Amino acid sequence: MLELDITERAKYIRVIGSELHRIADHLTCVGAIGLELGGFTAFLYGIEARELIIDRTTELTGARLTTSFGRVGGLDRDLPEGWTEKVLKTLDKIAILAGEVDALLTRNRIFVDRMKGTGVITAIDAMDFGFTGPCLRACGVNYDVRKAHPYWVYDQLNFDVPLGENGDNFDRYLMRIEEIKQSERMIRQAFQQIPEGPVIVGDWRIALPPKPEVYGTIEGAMAHFKLIMEGIQVPAGELYHSTEAANGELGWYLVSDGGGRPYKVHVRAPGFAILSGIERMVEGRMLADLIPTFDTINMIGGEVEQ
Amino acid sequence: MSEPSEKTAAKGEGGKPVPGAPTNVPGGTGTKPPPPAPPPAGKPPAPPKNPGFVTLTIDEREVVVKPGTNMIEAAKQVGSEIPYYCYHPRLTIAANCRMCLVEVSNAPKLVPACQTPVAEGLAVKTKTEVVKDSHRAVLEFLLLNHPVDCAICDQAGECKLQDYYMQHDFQPSRLDDRKVLRHKRKALGPLVVLDQERCILCTRCVRFMNEVAKEPQLGVFGRGSHERIDVFPGSSLDSNYSGNTVDICPVGALLSRDFRFRARAWFLSTSPSVCSGCSRGCSTWIDFFGQETYRYRPRENEQINKSWLCDQGRLSYKYLNRDRVLAPALGRGSDAQEIGAAEAMKWAWGKLEPIARTPKLAVLASPLASNEDLMFSLSFAKEALGASQVYLGGRPPGEADHYLMTSDKNPNRRGLEWIARGLGLATKPFEEVLSAIEAGSVRALYAVGGEIPSHPPAIESLLQRLELLIVQAINPGALSAFADLVLPVSPHSEDEGTFTNLDGITQRFRAAYPSRGASQPHWKWAADLARAAGHAWVPNSAGEVFGETAKRIPELASFDWDGAAPLRQLWPGGGPLPAAADGRPAGYREFGRPRVRGI
Repeated sequence: MLELDITERAKYIRVIGSELHRIADHLTCVGAIGLELGGFTAFLYGIEARELIIDRTTELTGARLTTSFGRVGGLDRDLPEGWTEKVLKTLDKIAILAGEVDALLTRNRIFVDRMKGTGVITAIDAMDFGFTGPCLRACGVNYDVRKAHPYWVYDQLNFDVPLGENGDNFDRYLMRIEEIKQSERMIRQAFQQIPEGPVIVGDWRIALPPKPEVYGTIEGAMAHFKLIMEGIQVPAGELYHSTEAANGELGWYLVSDGGGRPYKVHVRAPGFAILSGIERMVEGRMLADLIPTFDTINMIGGEVEQ
Repeated sequence: MSEPSEKTAAKGEGGKPVPGAPTNVPGGTGTKPPPPAPPPAGKPPAPPKNPGFVTLTIDEREVVVKPGTNMIEAAKQVGSEIPYYCYHPRLTIAANCRMCLVEVSNAPKLVPACQTPVAEGLAVKTKTEVVKDSHRAVLEFLLLNHPVDCAICDQAGECKLQDYYMQHDFQPSRLDDRKVLRHKRKALGPLVVLDQERCILCTRCVRFMNEVAKEPQLGVFGRGSHERIDVFPGSSLDSNYSGNTVDICPVGALLSRDFRFRARAWFLSTSPSVCSGCSRGCSTWIDFFGQETYRYRPRENEQINKSWLCDQGRLSYKYLNRDRVLAPALGRGSDAQEIGAAEAMKWAWGKLEPIARTPKLAVLASPLASNEDLMFSLSFAKEALGASQVYLGGRPPGEADHYLMTSDKNPNRRGLEWIARGLGLATKPFEEVLSAIEAGSVRALYAVGGEIPSHPPAIESLLQRLELLIVQAINPGALSAFADLVLPVSPHSEDEGTFTNLDGITQRFRAAYPSRGASQPHWKWAADLARAAGHAWVPNSAGEVFGETAKRIPELASFDWDGAAPLRQLWPGGGPLPAAADGRPAGYREFGRPRVRGI
C-alpha cells in the first residue's frame, strides 16, 4: 500500500527466518505425531532439533517464539556475528536428527498402520474447505504461495514442492519430512546469495530513526515521536497479501483510511480452514483415528479462535 | 500566462478588502504588498472571467475568490494545504517564516503565499519539486538551533514543527556544530513562560499583542542568531490577553504556566463548550482527561470572541475541578450527614410541601446555571412551590477590561431574565431577600445555585434565622454552609445546555465528561423534586427541558436547539484519542483518578 520495496538483505533474512520457523514447526509436528502414537523417542529427537533452531532464533531476535523482529520496511537489526556459521552447523545436526525421526517412524509398522488410510480427504473437499499448505499438497494439489505468487526472494531460490497422492495422515506426515529437507536447501542457498547492505529502509516516515539520531538531533526526535504517536501514514485503500506459513497460506487483509492506524486488519490463518474440515476426515471412522488426524493437521489454537 | 494577470491586477480589483472575507490589510509591523505592475502600454487589459471576483488556478484547479482573499485561504478552498507558521488569519502579514513559499506564474522566484495578492489568471503551484525543496530547506533552517526537547515539551503532539517536519522534511540533521543556546525558561508574565531556544521568531505573539490586545508588551530583540522574543526591560507580559500568545505560538516556545507539565496533549480529549467566567460567553474547547478539566482553549466564533479568550476566563475552569460538593448532605454545619439522593428528595419535599404557595418560601436563582437548568427549576418553583418572584444570586461583579471581559462574572444573566419574564416571574435583587429574611416575611429559601453576589457581615445570622434552606451548589460557599440540605450540582462541563450572553447570543455547549460523584444538573434535581411531588411528567434530558419550556419564552422560542449543537470536531492535538464505542471519553475511568503514567 505504501509502494515500498524493502532492502534485498532484509528479504533474504526474512526468507531464512521463515524457513527456520518452518523446520521448527514441522519437527514439532512430526515429533508430536510420534509421541501421541506411542513413539516417545521420535519426539525427543524432533524436539532436540527444534530446540537448536529456537536457540538460533533467540540469538537473532531475542525471543524464542514471539520474536517481534520484523518491522514495516525491513527488520529490527542485522544478523549477529558468527550466526551464519552456527546456523549451518545447526542444519547439519538437524539433518541427522530428522533422519533419525524418519528412520524411526516412516517404516514402522505400528506407525504406518495408524497413519495410512486414516483421516482421508479428497482434493476437491480439501479445496472446498480452504485447505492450504502441506495438508492440501498431501492431496496432490500443487499450490504453494512461494511458487504461485513468489514474494521476497523465493523466485531466486531453487527448491521443490513435494506433493502427496492420498490425502491421508501418512501423506501429510511425509510432506513435512520432505519440506524440512527443502527448507534446509533454501537456507543454504540464501546464505550463499545474501548481499550486504541495510536491513531496513532509510525513510523516517516509515522506519524509526537510529537511536543516536533520536537522542541527539531534533529531526530524529520528531520523526520518532510522530511515528510512535501517529503511526505510519498509509494511503487509503485495501490490500490482501499472503505468505506460505508452515501450515499453509497466512493472509493479511488490511484496510487503511489514510491515517496512521489501520481501519481494519483481518488475518486469514491456515489452521481455521483446516480444522473446519476435520469432521469430514473422521466421520464414520474409528474414534482412535482422530488422534493422528488431529496431529497431522497441526491445529494451532491461536489461529482457530476467531 | 503572466501578462493577463498583471493587467487585471492593475485594474484596481486586487488589494481591496472585502468585509467577511479574510483580509490581509497591511498595518502595524506587517509589510505592504508590492503594488501591482502597470499594464504594458498599448494592450487593453482582458476582462476578468468572473466580474467582481478573481479567478485563478491553484494546483491546476480553478478557484474563484473575492479580491483581496489570502492565497493560503484560497488554496484551502480547493483542498491544497499550504504550510505556514507566521501567517494567522486574524493578524497582519509578516511573511517571515518563509514556509508558505509557492510557485506563481507571474514571478521568477518563489513567493510567500500569505503576502502575495491573488490576481486574475494567476497559476499557483504548491506541490512542485522546487516548492518541496524550499519546504525542506526552510525546515532545516528552523530546526538548526531547535533543542531536542520533544520529550519534555508541552507542545509535543500539537506542534507545527513536528507536523510539518513529518509532512515535508523527514531528512536527518546535517548539523555538526553546536546549537545556539538562549534563555531556556524566561517567565514573561504571570501566565506565560518563554523558551527562547524553541522559538522560530514568527512574531505571531508580538503582532497579537500589538494588534488585538493593543498592549504592545512584546518585542523582537537582537540580531541574527541572537534574535529573540522578549518583554521590554522592566516590564512584564501582564496583559489580560497574554494566554492567547500561548495558543497562537505554533511551537513550544510560549507555554502556559498554569498548564505546563500537567498533562500531555495526546491524553486530553476535547469538547466544545462556552466560558463561564463572565457574561461575554466566549466559545471554548474544554480539554479534559477523565473527569477533570485541564484547560480552556478559545474556539472560533466570529460573533463573540473571534479566536481569543481572556486570561481570567482561561483560568476560570478551576472551580470545575476543585472543592466540589459531591454528595447530598442533610443538616447544618458540623451536623451535616451525607445521604442518598432519593432520601434527600423525600425529605426536601416533605419540608417544602407545607410551606409551598405561601410567601414564607422564597426562590433564589443563579445566572451561573444554564438556560435548561433555569427553565425547569423556575417552572417547578412557579407551579409546585407557587413562587411569583425570583431573587437573583450569582457571583459578585468584578472588573471589566477593554476587549472581551465584562464586569458581570455570570455567563447567563440575560437568559435568566428572559426565562423569568417568560414564565411570569418578577426578578428581585439578592439584597431584598436578605431584608425580607430580616423582616421575617421569608422563612424558607430554595436556592438554585449556591453563589451569592454580596456578602454583608450580617448574612450568617440572617441565614441562621431561616427555618429551611435548600441549596443546590457546585462548590461549597456561604449559602451551603448554613443549608439544611445541600444538593451537589454539575457545572457546564458535565451536562449539555445553553448560555445566553450579554448581547443576547445563545450558544449550545456539550457535556465533556459524566457528572462527578452524585452531582447532577439543576434541572435534574428539580425534576427529582417534581417526581417526589407527584408530577406526572418530568424531563429526561436538557434537550427535553428546552423543547418543553422554550415555547413559553419568546426570546428563546425560535432557537434551534438541535441545530445549534457545536461539532465535536477535534482540533489537531486536541484529542487524538477518539471516544470509546460506548461514548465514554478517552481516558475515562469508572473509579478514582486516571491511572496513566505522565498525568
